[in-house]
Amino acid sequence: MMDLIQTISSSFVSLIPVTLAQSLILAFVVLGIMIPFRTLNFPDLTSEGAFPLGGCVCGVLLAGGASPLTAIGVALVAGFLAGCCTAFIHLRFRIHTLLAGILMMTMLYSINLRIMGKSNLSVFGAPTVFDWAPFTQPGFPASKIVVAGIIGLVVFLLLDLFFKTEKGTAIRAVGANPDMAEAQGINVWVATIGGVGLASAFSATGGALMVQSQGFADVNMGLGILINGLAALMIGEAIVGKQTVVRQLAAPFVGAVIYYQLVSFCLAAGMPPPDLKLATGLFVLAMLALPSLRRSRGPAQARETIRE
Amino acid sequence: MLEIQSARKVFYKGQADEKIALDGLSLKLATGEFAVVIGSNGAGKSSMLNAISGALPLDVGKVLINGDDVTDMPVHKRAARLARVFQDPMKGTAASMTVAENMLLADLRSTRRRLRRGLNAKRLEQYRERLSLLGLGLENRLDTRVELLSGGQRQSLSLIMAVGGDPELLLLDEHTAALDPRTADIVMQATVRAVDALKLTTLMVTHNMQHAVDFGHSVIMLDAGKLRLEISGEEKTTITVPDLIGHFAVKTDRMMLAS
Repeated sequence: MMDLIQTISSSFVSLIPVTLAQSLILAFVVLGIMIPFRTLNFPDLTSEGAFPLGGCVCGVLLAGGASPLTAIGVALVAGFLAGCCTAFIHLRFRIHTLLAGILMMTMLYSINLRIMGKSNLSVFGAPTVFDWAPFTQPGFPASKIVVAGIIGLVVFLLLDLFFKTEKGTAIRAVGANPDMAEAQGINVWVATIGGVGLASAFSATGGALMVQSQGFADVNMGLGILINGLAALMIGEAIVGKQTVVRQLAAPFVGAVIYYQLVSFCLAAGMPPPDLKLATGLFVLAMLALPSLRRSRGPAQARETIRE
Repeated sequence: MLEIQSARKVFYKGQADEKIALDGLSLKLATGEFAVVIGSNGAGKSSMLNAISGALPLDVGKVLINGDDVTDMPVHKRAARLARVFQDPMKGTAASMTVAENMLLADLRSTRRRLRRGLNAKRLEQYRERLSLLGLGLENRLDTRVELLSGGQRQSLSLIMAVGGDPELLLLDEHTAALDPRTADIVMQATVRAVDALKLTTLMVTHNMQHAVDFGHSVIMLDAGKLRLEISGEEKTTITVPDLIGHFAVKTDRMMLAS
């Protein structure tokens, strides 16, 4: 028994740095899920397509000899456009946000294949942003932790400032009460398209960083990222809360770090990897069901979190 | 100031349950005039306010504010010129945001929003001062999220938000109907004070005949999407609640004859 615990804990501990690096990169995707979901009340699935989009764009550019920063920049713009499309489809044709997101991510799959020309592209050995990490040796998890951590911190601080500006407050108002926002002179279309675009830009950035970290791009790299991100967001919100702008923005980062360590622990403890999606799905279901269970007595109103 | 020219709006056009909401309605409101709008349910009061605010596009007709044709202007552009308080306290405020943030949203109604800090010390001080006029203690709860306020407090906040920023036109849509009598009174008194002090051109819809008698420079009665009666000037000052109800009765008799 003691032996088992020792093997589990030693294999888990040895994985902590690698998992931490990975989770800091995936925190961008969680951020890309949180922004539409929480600040715009726009449950969005685009990230499942925007994440590999960012990865594919970055991969092709790296393979073509572009600098890693340029690759991230272009990936970011591509993700922004994808998000804008989803929001536009919803607003213009009055299609439910979830369906608009499914349409976008399905179409993005083909687009991603077109961009790369094949389903898998190795960029191993190409320069990456992680090469520029101070005080660390390139190629090791520490360099990824430092670089992804710095970028994450900068993004967090900028977003915190932005959501407290006049424009940022207006965007949050659109999520809180769209009719009221409109009556206060806020252009709901501009705020929604811009906000969802911004979110998808973060998801694509996460994809680009992931490709630079793992050394290859794959059209299937987004598979299941959404539900992972949602699980991470739920954990983050349970820990730091979501009452204020700062807490809501910190939740994706905290949640991503904790969630991927949990996954790593489960795998180290011998959980078969194929069961992982089932476990994640059940976890998200439990988190979403919790409020209605607490209220008890009779079924919950069917618009707890997902509503148009 | 405000002018509606033969506005017509039909819902479910061509279907069995076709409903004419506005039937060639024309109306003029002078600058600084405080008009009270009455009429039975379905008379077109809300449709009229929605047509003015832009939430309801007209089939035929025009809406002019200060001589400018705003008929094709979207809601968020008209917002620079008019402010509105809804019947439902939930509708006029952003529940998950704080009192101060709601005040900020209303404060910037007619200006371009920029990339600079929204809530600065100067603004917070202003908001505190404006809210203290209500005497509800809201000035000490600037950081409270609005969902934690009572219906009356939310509605009072909506009112302060609406009259701040000096709108060209103020629309009040049965804004005290959902409140208990005491709170309704507080909100109504605050409304009258603000409208008087700022000389706001105001259109107030109400089902409360006593309010229609007590407040405003004129009474407008709508019926079946048309302007049925307008009482202003000397006549308005002498009118009583039974007089007004009498006009409703005439309508009911006519409806009975028609059926």
